[in-house]
Amino acid sequence: MVRRDAAAAAALLAVAVAAAVESARLLPYGAVRNPGPGFFPWWIALVLGALALVLLGQALRPGAAAGRAEPRRVGRVLGLLAVLGLYALVLEPAGYPLATFGVVLFMLRVTEPQRWPVALALAALAAGGSYVLFGLWLDVPLPAGPLGR
Amino acid sequence: MDLLGNLAHGFAVALTPANLLYCFLGALIGTAIGVLPGLGPPATIALLLPVTYGIPPTSAVILLAGIFYGAMYGGSTTSILLNIPGEAASVVTCLDGYQMARQGRAGAALAVSALGSFVAGTLGIVGLMVLAPPLASFALRFGAPENAALLVLGLMMVGYLGGGSMAKGLSMAALGLLLGTVGLDPIVGDARFTYGIFKLAEGFQFILVAMGLFGIGEVLVNIERMVRPEVLRTRIAGLLGTREEWRRAAGPTARGSLLGFLIGVLPGGGAVIASFIAYALEKRLSRHPERFGRGAVEGVAAPEAANNAAATSSFVPLLTLGIPGNASIALILAALLIHGIRPGPLLIQQKPELFWGLIASMYLGNLMLVVLNLPLIGLWVKLLQVPYPLLAPFIVVFVLVGAYSVNNSASDVGITVIFGLLGYLMRKFDFEPAPLVLAMILGPQLEASLRRALIYARGDLLIFVERPIAATLLALAALLLLAPLVRRAARRRLADVLAPAPADDPHGRQGA
Repeated sequence: MVRRDAAAAAALLAVAVAAAVESARLLPYGAVRNPGPGFFPWWIALVLGALALVLLGQALRPGAAAGRAEPRRVGRVLGLLAVLGLYALVLEPAGYPLATFGVVLFMLRVTEPQRWPVALALAALAAGGSYVLFGLWLDVPLPAGPLGR
Repeated sequence: MDLLGNLAHGFAVALTPANLLYCFLGALIGTAIGVLPGLGPPATIALLLPVTYGIPPTSAVILLAGIFYGAMYGGSTTSILLNIPGEAASVVTCLDGYQMARQGRAGAALAVSALGSFVAGTLGIVGLMVLAPPLASFALRFGAPENAALLVLGLMMVGYLGGGSMAKGLSMAALGLLLGTVGLDPIVGDARFTYGIFKLAEGFQFILVAMGLFGIGEVLVNIERMVRPEVLRTRIAGLLGTREEWRRAAGPTARGSLLGFLIGVLPGGGAVIASFIAYALEKRLSRHPERFGRGAVEGVAAPEAANNAAATSSFVPLLTLGIPGNASIALILAALLIHGIRPGPLLIQQKPELFWGLIASMYLGNLMLVVLNLPLIGLWVKLLQVPYPLLAPFIVVFVLVGAYSVNNSASDVGITVIFGLLGYLMRKFDFEPAPLVLAMILGPQLEASLRRALIYARGDLLIFVERPIAATLLALAALLLLAPLVRRAARRRLADVLAPAPADDPHGRQGA
């Protein structure tokens, strides 16, 4: 787990460096007596960088604590993330009921496999029920897509 | 108006049918999510934020606060019956609560926990009511340097007390401050880090970040480490407990309430730490420390009292200084900001109906919670039988609708999913999301106060040292930097006292 902690610290360090460089490049720093828009982000980036270095040091220290073993089902997580990303893209063209039906069906068939009848019924209930509740009753203008009107 | 007059005014607000309903709904939802492992109060409050757009701010706060303190009641049920804490604040209740249940005293454990929670919650409200107004008047003396110092101290405490490594907590706070700088500059209004993307000019909307980090992030983590809980097949009898049990629970409840209140007032303090320290204190004070971990009623009463008192008192810094001490409170702050109300020293004067209405609703909510949690306990045990795989899609749907409804925009859904990924990664790498969320919401205030103070002092940094309040606050913040060393020693002692350690929360949930 040393490698995992070190990777996280390195990622934070990269964010800090990028933020420092970008605020120096894009934003006027001003002066201490009249700080500009770049003043605060620059200093915070510096603080974040220092903390990332501390974390890196802790991770690489000999005898750093080993993390606990965890069950690995990363595939399901990544799959669901991909489907949710796709959902944001197709929400307007496909409409809320259809897109939501797809996400829930995916979760009930792939993420946590259920029997087809259960999955289909719950997906229809979640998509249809939430559309009626939020879209029609609470007036959230959810895109109806080809199924609407 | 005097205290009683104010309180009467508060009850007039809280007792309107609509507010009573919101209070009841909050207590009900809070108990439900407290019982359900896999959904914590910050996630639930984040999910319900969009719902609160359309209701008056006082009702919104009454609802969300009810969820927050209601979860403290519900969380103990799973600790006692399943040995799985429904909330992080109930982890320590597992130690003796589950043992009591195994010995056939589940009823007594649940009763001591619910009534202890009620007493502590009520004492906490009295404390909040008495302490908040003078603290707010004191804070009226704060200028920009004091505000900046206070915010620095608040963020340091969140990093320090948030659990886990201080460097990790503070790095998340720094990341949150950076994310908070995206959008318009708070003093001169220049666009920052927007890269020509119009959407970024308004910054990352807090509600999307919160729904992603807490809603989606939590679902993803739970999907990865799915554990199926087994309800202890015990008959819940003897809900009243014995006279001896009540006698033994009285002292721990009183001490737990006081301790919990004091710890809850500190930013980052909150219910989790309060429950651990209260347990350790009782074990130390007890003439029979060997009973702890084997079903001691004191080991249920003290932490349950402490987590409720702390949940209540964590409203003190929010309502007086405008500083949220934990993630749930930060989300309640967000709900107020959405309604154009910025909590701070002036809140009690300018919005008395909100402050006193909330206080009165808490008295009512605590009463409702005792009724919800004792006679209806069988119902909640049934709720535990809803499998998480069937619950998760509904949580996701709620997040998706909520994210879309903020601006009726599909790209907001995308932003929420991205923060969901971030929330998942943070939990994987043992980073707490709470400091990031708090820093994001406090960042613009901190930056504005800091820059105003520097402009006012013409760049003379001594302004933070020459003004006594600011200097004191910053000195405390500096002391906290040395705290990890002290904490390492304290933790070793606490571990000795607490042994055997509680089971790890298999759902990796966020506390308070």
